[in-house]
Amino acid sequence: MTDDNEPMTDGGTDEDARTDGGPPATVPPDDETPTWSERKERSQGLAQLTYQYFERSRREDEDLRAESTYVERDVLGFPAWPHETIRNLAITSFFIGMLIFIAALMPPHFGHPANPGSTPAIILPDWYLYWSFGLLKLNPLNPQLAVLDGNILLGNEFLGIIAHGIVFGAIGLVPFLNKGSARRPVEEPFWAGVGVTGVVLSLTLAALAIQNFFPFELDLLVTLTFLLPVLCGIITYAVLKTMREGYMYDLNRRYYMLRPPK
Amino acid sequence: MSLKKNDEMDHNAWLKRQDLTVIETAFLTTLIWVDKRLRIVDYLELLETMYYRANLQMPKSHTEQYDLDNKFWYWYPLYSLGSLSIIAYLVAAVSGAMLGFYYSPSTAGAAAQGDPTAAYDSVVMILQDVQFGFMLRSIHSWAAQFMVAAVFLHMLRVYFTGAYKEPREVNWILGVVLIGLTLFFGFSGYVLPWKQLSFWAAQIGVEMALATPIVGEWAAQLLFGGFTLGQATLVRMYILHVFVLPFVVTSLIALHVGIVWVQGIAEPH
Repeated sequence: MTDDNEPMTDGGTDEDARTDGGPPATVPPDDETPTWSERKERSQGLAQLTYQYFERSRREDEDLRAESTYVERDVLGFPAWPHETIRNLAITSFFIGMLIFIAALMPPHFGHPANPGSTPAIILPDWYLYWSFGLLKLNPLNPQLAVLDGNILLGNEFLGIIAHGIVFGAIGLVPFLNKGSARRPVEEPFWAGVGVTGVVLSLTLAALAIQNFFPFELDLLVTLTFLLPVLCGIITYAVLKTMREGYMYDLNRRYYMLRPPK
Repeated sequence: MSLKKNDEMDHNAWLKRQDLTVIETAFLTTLIWVDKRLRIVDYLELLETMYYRANLQMPKSHTEQYDLDNKFWYWYPLYSLGSLSIIAYLVAAVSGAMLGFYYSPSTAGAAAQGDPTAAYDSVVMILQDVQFGFMLRSIHSWAAQFMVAAVFLHMLRVYFTGAYKEPREVNWILGVVLIGLTLFFGFSGYVLPWKQLSFWAAQIGVEMALATPIVGEWAAQLLFGGFTLGQATLVRMYILHVFVLPFVVTSLIALHVGIVWVQGIAEPH
């Protein structure tokens, strides 16, 4: 009461915002206070962009749904539950039965204890690492440069490690190189050929890894390791390319008539 | 007005009003008796809602909708390879936990080079003395083989049906990472019995690490506990195999499956 003109905490002396004798009232919302929808719209920066994108994609979905001639939803994949889960459990339980059956029938071999003093004649990992072990045996390919007096540029093992990096990198890049809505191998003979090349390469690399099991000329083996996959890839490509026309006629009649590819 | 209590929900009177068979009467009487005590009706309603939701979520599958191929079923096993690898992983986890009760990750006890170590002896003990131990190791080993095989074939299936395409690139890369981790899982397990082949496989691992420039020595220290193999190597492989990799791989599998769950299964077009 006594000191009405005393500055308030924010520095102002607002008479209206003060009730009789009481403490300063809450400051009423002025024009600059954002409404809730304005707050939601996020009028600036990354938040705004995010909001706009969400609105756009939602609208896009709605438009697509409105355009769609199907009664059912626009299926791009079908639900994991329940179709896939039930089907998989049925098939998988059969395979687990097989697992236990095989485990009872063929118990794994158990070898001698480790001896750092004697290197065994044959060192092998489990079968699933044969391809990786084959990559370590690529030393015949290691360039021996004349400028280095016949010395090798990279260590043989480092060459193998680089090869591993190339393999994993190439596999990881696939979805960024091959785009489009084609799904079946016949629709894309080239990529099917690439796939077969990769599969056969893993097999020939495994053969390279167990090279000392059979008497085979090493140079020929290394050549075949890379020639055979490419050959198989080319054959796949040719076969699929030949099949393609008749097959695509069928596909077009059945499917693309309903759902044209992009 | 009567002071007599008027029960609007007199179920017994309602029962009498109706012309019911003995079985119906018995069923309803039991239901009412249980429901008065436990209010199971609420839960039944919940179940009913769930039932209808589950059924509403069943659109025609892709193949049904477009009448793609009436013989599609013979591809189904290829589409279940992903779950097969998960289930094989679970089998390996359970049998591995049981093997872990008896295994000791130690190279102690070898008087001379080539003598059996404590780790080797503990595996021999599992094979010979533990009840069901022989089968347990066999199941663990075969589960690992099944998992790796299923993972490889799963990748081939995904590749040849173009399932890695546009919205699913991230999951493909996640899958490549998972394959690498699965192989490392197998490798670390291969080392644990500390038999001759385990030792020399680990030796190749160390040599590979050391051949890598810049990070090689650091990686050898981290994974193998030094440049020569010994107790430190075995313990590190053990911890990787039973502690680190299970957590990492399980959470990545959960993420992988979660993405599939959200995106739906890509059937071939």
